[in-house]
Amino acid sequence: MPLSRLIKWFRSIFRRRKIIRLGLYGPPNAGKTTLANKISMDWTGEPVGKVSEIPHETREVQKKEMVVVRSGNKKIIMNILDMPGIATKIDYEDFMKFGMSKKDAQKRAKEATKGVIEAIKWLENVDTALVVMDSTKDPYTQVNITIIGNLEARGIPIIIVANKLDLPDSKPEWIEEAFPQHPVVELSALKGTHMDELYEAIAKYSR
Amino acid sequence: MRIEIEFISSNVLESKTDKEKMDFILNKIKDGKILVVEESLSSLDESKLIEATMNQIDEKFHGIEVSTLRESNVDGIREKVIRFLGGKTGGLTVIGPSKLIKKIKKEPQRISLLAEVREIRRVRKWK
Repeated sequence: MPLSRLIKWFRSIFRRRKIIRLGLYGPPNAGKTTLANKISMDWTGEPVGKVSEIPHETREVQKKEMVVVRSGNKKIIMNILDMPGIATKIDYEDFMKFGMSKKDAQKRAKEATKGVIEAIKWLENVDTALVVMDSTKDPYTQVNITIIGNLEARGIPIIIVANKLDLPDSKPEWIEEAFPQHPVVELSALKGTHMDELYEAIAKYSR
Repeated sequence: MRIEIEFISSNVLESKTDKEKMDFILNKIKDGKILVVEESLSSLDESKLIEATMNQIDEKFHGIEVSTLRESNVDGIREKVIRFLGGKTGGLTVIGPSKLIKKIKKEPQRISLLAEVREIRRVRKWK
């Protein structure tokens, strides 16, 4: 029955297109996993990954599939892809400052380098990107510019998240000034504030 | 205490493949040099450079600091068209070893770089 198989094939493509691969990108310790966990907890009741103050806690892409998000009358089905933080340097001695042994720190550094490569390779495979930035820090860094430039070159919709709004040093206006060409959502993933604005932005800009 | 800064014409990188370009840059960085390239690397080149850097990180080499100066903070249509036609986009790129570059501050039309050489004191033991 070739016709029914053809219809099934078309339907499967249609269904696949409706699931958005939402990639969370950014430098280490910007709060990507905290945000991924918050989104996932809001809609599935389960977290995505472990959070730590030690940089490069996420060293492999972490996925949460079939997360159904509702905003207004829109329903979005997405696979959340929490990416390892992208960095240009990884010094194992930095991990030792958190009390890790040299052997463990070197192992973590090695895994972190692989994580960065994996995150870069995944740039081609996301449909929409949340670029998460720490709003207490200068956003005009080469890593942020490289991430955004790569996503733009591939035509991937970008939503910038100005995270850590709960901290007194937070200056989300810096982010808006640095990247005026993209929508910026100011929020605190830790406190869960302004999450509705993020869901509205995902519903509006993702494809 | 010495810091070597090498200024490189964009012609040097022009004829190289992506891999040759990354190897050329990283070999010099691993020699402890700071490079100033007479062209802004594209975002895609920057991500390739980060990938190549990650593959070479070990106990001695901890990575790079990189900053590009271009008209816009991202590749605009003008830059894309110029690159497509094989032209030069101008701008510049500063790259150096992270061990040497203490801080790199980027602004839309300015890059400031603070390098610091940590001297290793050798204590000679007399018998």
